Amino acid sequence: MFRPTWKTGGIAALALALTAVALPLANPAAALAAGSLGLFLLWRGWRFERDLAIVAASLAVEREVEPKLLRQGAMASIRVRADLSAPPGLTVRVRDLPPAVATGDPPLSPPGTVATYTVWLMAPGGTTFGGVIVEASDAYFSRDLICRHYNAPHLQVFPGGSWGVGRGRGVRGEDTRVDRKAALAGQDVRGFRPYRSGDDPRHVDWKVTARRGTLYVREIAGLEGGIPLIAVDLPTTLNGDLTTLARFTMTVYSAAEEVINTHGNCSLLIITSGEVVRFLPGAQDIREVVAILGSLAPVEPHAPLYRASGSAVLMARMRRPAIGAGPEERAYHERLSDIISAFAAENPVPFTVAIREALSRANAVEIRLYSLLVTGDRSHLVQLANEAKSQKMRVVLKAPVGASPLPGIDAMEVL
Amino acid sequence: MATDRRFILLCTAEVLVVAAGNIVAALILQMIVLAAFIEYRRGFATFAAATIAFSGVIAVSSTVSFPLLALAGALGCGYLALLLQDYRLARWAGGEA
Repeated sequence: MFRPTWKTGGIAALALALTAVALPLANPAAALAAGSLGLFLLWRGWRFERDLAIVAASLAVEREVEPKLLRQGAMASIRVRADLSAPPGLTVRVRDLPPAVATGDPPLSPPGTVATYTVWLMAPGGTTFGGVIVEASDAYFSRDLICRHYNAPHLQVFPGGSWGVGRGRGVRGEDTRVDRKAALAGQDVRGFRPYRSGDDPRHVDWKVTARRGTLYVREIAGLEGGIPLIAVDLPTTLNGDLTTLARFTMTVYSAAEEVINTHGNCSLLIITSGEVVRFLPGAQDIREVVAILGSLAPVEPHAPLYRASGSAVLMARMRRPAIGAGPEERAYHERLSDIISAFAAENPVPFTVAIREALSRANAVEIRLYSLLVTGDRSHLVQLANEAKSQKMRVVLKAPVGASPLPGIDAMEVL
Repeated sequence: MATDRRFILLCTAEVLVVAAGNIVAALILQMIVLAAFIEYRRGFATFAAATIAFSGVIAVSSTVSFPLLALAGALGCGYLALLLQDYRLARWAGGEA
């Protein structure tokens, strides 16, 4: 609803006064003055609405949110710029409307300038911005128009109860609203072992040490294998389910953050069917990981792998005598022998070479393989597990509940 | 304070318009005063046409009460039209229409 300014009220009062003069005195000039002032106000109101419609139609909003991955309670920095064409005489300023689940104080800024403000996202789930408020005014009327079309980008806020809850650090080490109870809960302790040279003294458990008479350290869940390599099996298709991908990415991010906080660096290997999408060895800054994870999306592989197992497994099977086997097994054995003898001298598949090089560069003792295990080819995961075993790495598969285990996996944990 | 002074000048000029007596002189004076009162005159011709039509009605009418009542009704309808236009704009901007 448009609001009149003091000047509009003054003109209306003047028109009423002139009417009060015109009616008893039957003065045509006073009646003309009173009527023309009423028409003047109506014309100005019509003019204001026309100008406001022009402003609303020409409005364009660009908004950037940092970081891309958002957690409940974390701070996010918003940069917003609104461009519009304001007719002369109309003063326009724009205020951003943060998401309903966010607390923050967006500034009022003139069009064409970049406004920066911060919000705290207080609730998990999907959300969007509320749009922008266009505050327009001329000498006679003013109006706050809420434009909800401009609500991009869509935000996915993940619960703060995943990895690293209550650590008091956000995505980039900034302030975070911490759940105090969760912060006191600490991490799960999987077990204890005698102290070894180089162990973090903060991990010494003094109660167990006192009972046993020698130093014992706590083994934190998921960290018992030394510096791990985070391997991500990027799903080839999720039928447009970006929420699942975002949750998956967030879980990987939390794991990478945990590894960096604990070990000082983290290697990240992202694969999809038969391809190495990205490899980031020894990342010490979580922002490098965020930059990569934030750009992930389901991809259509250029070259599906479809290899049942590693060449060593096939060679072993080929050497197994076919005596006593059925006709189908004998036929398979013959074909397998022909194929391997024909192609054994060929170079291995590029995927195998790539992951072998990546694993050797990562210098890790454990691979944490994150996968949604969507239906389709999983032979690249078997290849990865085989290569890891050949380099004496432990392989831990993190997969959704109910997923079937893969060959070569040492342990399987719920994602 | 420049705006305040301009509004006071408008009030003073309205006294002159009333004192003019002649409807034509009052019309010309009123147009000049209001044109000087505003800064941007886009669409001023529309207002001027409506004011001239209203002055014509006053000139041919034997009384001032009927034209003023008719104008009050017209202004009320115009205000309702403005409210409707504003409502439609708010709905469109709010993504409901």
